[in-house]
Amino acid sequence: MANKNGNIYGLTILSPIKQDAAAPVSPSLELRKYLHELCAHERSPFARIRDVHMARLVVMDDVVFEGSPSHEEHLRYKYLVFEANFDGDLEPFLRKMLDAAREEVGQIWRHCEGFPGTADPDKFIEYMKKCQLETTFYFVDVNDKTVPQTLKALQTQSAVAAFIQKHQGATGGGLREAFRQFSKELAAAKTPHPASVRGREFTGQLV
Amino acid sequence: MPNLNGKQYAMNAISPMKPWKSWIVRGFFLFLGYFPGAGRDLNNLSFIHFARWVIVGRKQFPRLDPNRAEHKDNLRYDYLLFFSNFNGTWNQYIDAFSAVLSAGLDFIWRRSEKYPGAVPVTPFKTYIQRGQFETDYYYSAYPHAATNDVKAAHRVQAAFDSLDAKRDLPPAEFEQAYRQFVLQVQTDLGATGEAPVGT
Repeated sequence: MANKNGNIYGLTILSPIKQDAAAPVSPSLELRKYLHELCAHERSPFARIRDVHMARLVVMDDVVFEGSPSHEEHLRYKYLVFEANFDGDLEPFLRKMLDAAREEVGQIWRHCEGFPGTADPDKFIEYMKKCQLETTFYFVDVNDKTVPQTLKALQTQSAVAAFIQKHQGATGGGLREAFRQFSKELAAAKTPHPASVRGREFTGQLV
Repeated sequence: MPNLNGKQYAMNAISPMKPWKSWIVRGFFLFLGYFPGAGRDLNNLSFIHFARWVIVGRKQFPRLDPNRAEHKDNLRYDYLLFFSNFNGTWNQYIDAFSAVLSAGLDFIWRRSEKYPGAVPVTPFKTYIQRGQFETDYYYSAYPHAATNDVKAAHRVQAAFDSLDAKRDLPPAEFEQAYRQFVLQVQTDLGATGEAPVGT
């Protein structure tokens, strides 16, 4: 199945956006304004789900016309494109997404045709599956590591660099003791929060 | 700029294909799926976290009520959607694609209407720009890490776990193992952080 590559699922959803000629602001513009205000870092709804490597939301206005002699054609609807790369399988992910980001999911998809709301997870999943497209080819560079594993590895990388720098010239028992203490602190350190952009967050108080 | 988040760039592009040609592209991707070695250049470029191609048949754009006439699109073309999560700038990405993957790209996009070829790069860039649409919201769980950072970090983690299993060795033996560890990981210790500014 091309939607999966290793442990990573590649979700592609196209939800038709409502049309309302009488509205002072079109649903697609309302949606764009909401997405513009939505936090993309530590307080992102996707950071709360914790399984998401990368995700995007895009309003696709129309198909493209390449110029004559191609045929010019247009879509009846604008579409909300939801592209996500996450650990695991679709249904558990959609349930988790609804649990972790019910408010944001409601605010985003209320602009889409046929959205059943967020009260009933089964109806929500059924709706998302109706809007899902099968991926034809899915490339993943690292396909066997989860988000927490990657964040932990980035933390280890940064901490190890600092440890090596600090203990240049150390030898024998002293080096071993320092490493044991470092290893203990690293194991006890909290996995970094997804989407942090503070910088140096992976080393924290270690070393 | 929502196309960018830290070191990551989210690219979206669409191109029309005559329906009979889309089956050739499907066949090519099926081949790539069965023979992953054929896509090795994509791995070797090492600046793409995730990328996907989605062929949408002319009757496959999701409609919630297919019986309603006003929901029907009456399209003549199938469409090839392309989504990529890469590091670096748009220009660097397209330049690298054109220089390294031109044969593969041509095989995929040559079936699209009025595709000019990946080389020379100027008409190729014009073509991509025409089919590209902007990202409205972009999230990354590790925005400061490039693909090479991620792969290096996992190598460091594996080496660290291996050294950690030796922490009860006698001091002299541990020291030797530690020196080996430092040699092993020394090229994988680059720091993550803000991307340099580019165009």
